[in-house]
Amino acid sequence: MTTFKGTAIVAGRGAGKALVTRTPINFTAALTKPHNLLPWRRGEIRDRHHDLFGSNVAGTVLVFPACVGSTFTGMVLMQLMSEGKGPAAIVVQSADSLLVSGAVLARVWFSKGVPVVEYQPDDLFEKIRPGDHVVVDGESGEIRVGMELADR
Amino acid sequence: MRLEPEQEAILRGERGRGMAKAMETLVVYGKAFGARRLVPIRSGHLAGTFGILSYKGYYSILEQLVAEGVKFKVPTTANPRPGQKLNLLNRVLFSHQSRLEANLASLGVIPNYSCVCYEQANVPGRGDVLAWAESSAVQFANSVLGARTNRNSILIDVCSAVTGLTPEFGYLLDEHRRGQVLVRLDIERMDAAALGFIIGRRVVDKVPVIEHRDFSWIELKNMGGAMAAAGAVALFHVEGLTPEAPDLKSAFDGAPPTAISVSQKDLDAMRIKDPDQSDLVVFGCPQMTLEEASQLAQRFTRAKVKKPTMFCLIPEAKKRFEATDLCGQVQRAGVRVADCCPVAALAARVGKRRVLTSSAKCLCYLAGTVYGTVDDCLQACGAGS
Repeated sequence: MTTFKGTAIVAGRGAGKALVTRTPINFTAALTKPHNLLPWRRGEIRDRHHDLFGSNVAGTVLVFPACVGSTFTGMVLMQLMSEGKGPAAIVVQSADSLLVSGAVLARVWFSKGVPVVEYQPDDLFEKIRPGDHVVVDGESGEIRVGMELADR
Repeated sequence: MRLEPEQEAILRGERGRGMAKAMETLVVYGKAFGARRLVPIRSGHLAGTFGILSYKGYYSILEQLVAEGVKFKVPTTANPRPGQKLNLLNRVLFSHQSRLEANLASLGVIPNYSCVCYEQANVPGRGDVLAWAESSAVQFANSVLGARTNRNSILIDVCSAVTGLTPEFGYLLDEHRRGQVLVRLDIERMDAAALGFIIGRRVVDKVPVIEHRDFSWIELKNMGGAMAAAGAVALFHVEGLTPEAPDLKSAFDGAPPTAISVSQKDLDAMRIKDPDQSDLVVFGCPQMTLEEASQLAQRFTRAKVKKPTMFCLIPEAKKRFEATDLCGQVQRAGVRVADCCPVAALAARVGKRRVLTSSAKCLCYLAGTVYGTVDDCLQACGAGS
């Protein structure tokens, strides 16, 4: 197990299997396609321009460089979280206004939090590998990476 | 964060629970970025105008505010309608449209219903502080008009419009408005939308400064829209053209830290090889101005388009366009002249009809879309030569 520290951006605690990409995510392009209207596919990434196409963010620790694109992002994330279908935690290299909005809106209006921790260095993608079990603390900024889950 | 007594009172709930939560949202949002205070805004612009049936959380918040009698405190415009009446599928997909519009009306929205609000309905001046949503409008206001707004999400836009406030951080502050990447151009045939897409991909969330070119207003709109969709660019400068970049030295406040170069080859690589391999041609994302639609319309000299073709205009511009002979000319050729958002309107199109567009923003959002220059698109729909 390894432990490292990022900057705590939004409070809360979450754990799950790491869903990792080095490509910035456009959450609107990813999560507002007609497929996403189906309740069980709400969190499925449907952006053909993205390498996580077909993956579902629900319950994962989402690890990615940055948010890009539309200002729908905060509402899209808030809605996912309010339905319990969002990521368990977020680790991002650059926490921007849209990503943070989603977490803030879910917390203030629906009492559903998702911790956001920022960690800028590129060794993020060596520290966390796809499928690793990750625990994120949005108060201290601590990230714990455990062994890979058996069901990977 | 330091709040004024009046702001504290709203936070305590003296103006109702909805206003208290709106204030709390802005405070928590601002604290995440180290904002020290909330500052007044001149106007708002809202991005949440598609009555998609799955966004129940958004509607419930608007309804709570309406029920408590809340009104927008500053002039506030809104994004395009989604083309809810285009077909049966859209009527179902956007079944919350009338309810959403009724709520926005109760809050006091200016019903411009365009992402290009900065053309006429909501034109900020240099230095004005705003709290806009809509990535393309944010970048235009910041870059071309010299106003100051962050990339605010849907609902953050609402919280700011009802309180008239935004947390002071990011692009509101001088230190975040300086250039970070110089963009050198090695281009003979400019395609501003494709250039915007490439810059967005390469710089992601940095502030690019583009070497001098005499981009037109329309090119700046389409280039910026693409930059903010393919990347997270909230502000760009063009040397000797945009207000905060009279020259490279002042745009960067010194020497450029890094540089990238975009070539003609990069632009050409964006284009589909055979524009005829498409089923539908779409223009107008961000929506077209009257001038843009008129310029394109002049090219529709032949009798009929070869495949369904759509123009999406700013609603106000569409009214003026419809009063011209050129509009009759394109409509007789079979072009559908609309005032909705093409991305929303075509999202649920039947089958796998491939859309060809000269909008690099549309390319990012609409599944099954390919890109061509304006001339490629005109060739595909059989307009002129």
